[in-house]
Amino acid sequence: MPYEVLDHTADVKFRVRGRTLAEAFEEAARAVCETMAPNCTPEGVVRRVEVEAADTESLLADFLSELLYLSDAESIAFCSFEVEILGNRLTALCRGEEFRREKHGGGAEIKGISYSGLSIYREGESYILEIIADV
Amino acid sequence: MGDGVKRITDYEWEVPVGFTPGMRVPGRFFLSEALRKSLESGAIQQLANVATMPGIVKYALAMPDIHWGYGFPIGGVAAFDISTGVISPGGVGFDINCGVRLLATPLSVQDLKNRRELVERLYQAVPTGVGAKADLRLSGRELEEMMLAGARWAVDHGYGVPGDIARCEEQGAMKGADTASVSQKARQRGFPQSGTLGSGNHFLEIQEVKEIYDQKAASLFGVSRGQVAVMIHCGSRGLGHQVCTDHLRNLEAATKKYGIQLPDRQLACAPITSPEGKAYFGGMAAAANYAWANRQMITDMTRKVLVKLYGIKYEQMPLVYDVAHNVAKMEVHRVDGKEVQVCVHRKGATRAFGPGSPDLPSEFAETGQPVIIPGSMGTPSFLLCGTAIAMEKTFGSTCHGAGRVTSRTQAKKDVRGRDIRDQLAREGIIVRAPSEASIAEEAPQVYKPSEEVVRVVDALGISRLVAKLVPLGVIKG
Repeated sequence: MPYEVLDHTADVKFRVRGRTLAEAFEEAARAVCETMAPNCTPEGVVRRVEVEAADTESLLADFLSELLYLSDAESIAFCSFEVEILGNRLTALCRGEEFRREKHGGGAEIKGISYSGLSIYREGESYILEIIADV
Repeated sequence: MGDGVKRITDYEWEVPVGFTPGMRVPGRFFLSEALRKSLESGAIQQLANVATMPGIVKYALAMPDIHWGYGFPIGGVAAFDISTGVISPGGVGFDINCGVRLLATPLSVQDLKNRRELVERLYQAVPTGVGAKADLRLSGRELEEMMLAGARWAVDHGYGVPGDIARCEEQGAMKGADTASVSQKARQRGFPQSGTLGSGNHFLEIQEVKEIYDQKAASLFGVSRGQVAVMIHCGSRGLGHQVCTDHLRNLEAATKKYGIQLPDRQLACAPITSPEGKAYFGGMAAAANYAWANRQMITDMTRKVLVKLYGIKYEQMPLVYDVAHNVAKMEVHRVDGKEVQVCVHRKGATRAFGPGSPDLPSEFAETGQPVIIPGSMGTPSFLLCGTAIAMEKTFGSTCHGAGRVTSRTQAKKDVRGRDIRDQLAREGIIVRAPSEASIAEEAPQVYKPSEEVVRVVDALGISRLVAKLVPLGVIKG
């Protein structure tokens, strides 16, 4: 299920959709990670991420921020995610490969996930997430 | 433009109290008629949101490069009383001390016969783009020292000359840096990235001084017509991004703890005097110092390439100046005839202290500080100086750049990176970037015209034009 990149003058805005909240979170993770490191295939690198937050918006911001941290600090290109959400707790298995400039270079570095414009809502049976990321 | 926004003078507009509920002061922004067309209503709303924050003094301000950001609008400036006011990462941004510096050289355009080779060598020398790492491997102690001493750390370790320090805002290191407020995660990101350019709008540009508007100031700053100069634009890299992310989370809790009502969660804040507010300030200052060291190290790489290629001396390339664009600082300003201590947030705005300011080195006592305004890729950049009017009107602040008008998504639909590169090459500007997309996203037409933005700040008097620089070669992150 593809994510959309919407117009935002200075930053980058994503809209993602999922049949469940967890699926929408997985799609948001893919949007953020593909923007930074395109052409990734899940080959061998797996990281488990656990996040707990006061509300669902913070859970999303913290989860994506954790991926920014891992991508940067450990030089990983991520592209496949299995997310489980229980209340305000999230566990995710994140798969990817070691970042290589020849393969994954040319993306845009995301500096942070902003609360401005971050929204989570239902549309029919779907969950929609909108995220503004600073690039 | 938004209901109720009033025009005050040719270039000055007011967002009245009541535009959004809870405003404590009016908003003021500066625009020409030409720039007004590209102003988004979201940016005005963000300016009004800033005006609701506790302890804000006089006005929530925005410079002529105002546009829609997150938290504060980009181009936003606000001063908060240090005893009753708040401090917020939403007024600084993720890229703490993103800033720009200008390096003079003894070369003239005629000396740059092998310009393509120069661009290529600089591109090879300066780690650029997502995932780039520096050759330098810092120890834990070195990183700690760098966060305290900023540009001085780099100069002391051989990445510059002592004269560079005086030519940096804050002498290249903010006081009050507290490394205990920088998490292990932030440090881990900081180790491999000191001395890297980053991506997005960060760049290293070879320029020619094309025009001088103020001969006296230009001589003092060390620039002359026909001279080759180098402009470097980057910030605090992953370390600064992580400091912002970490403290944003802490300040979210603090906002609730102190009962502060905000219209946007990204404006999360705490009283300047609170433990949470002090921790953010200390961490932010440490990241700002890391950014000054970073720009200093890139300066060293640049000088070494020029020494090798043109046989000039390292010492023949003095720093003109280095300014921060994203930072919060403790300053003293006169407000309604009284001196007040304030925490000035500048988010996509430049300090522009005027003549006689006690915070400036004595060499700038008559001119005010140098102000560097980068253009977009392929458009002119400008050197200006700070003014007394800026001290009165804008807490000593001016614009920081051209300001985007087109989203990155739209830019990639409208133009192809290859076409832009070819078009600029025909104009004599050589561009080197990690991808075609990164050229398209930063194409000249996606920004407001830099000439118009600086014309407005000069006409308003919040800074004064000194020189115009045009690009010859660009390295994009």
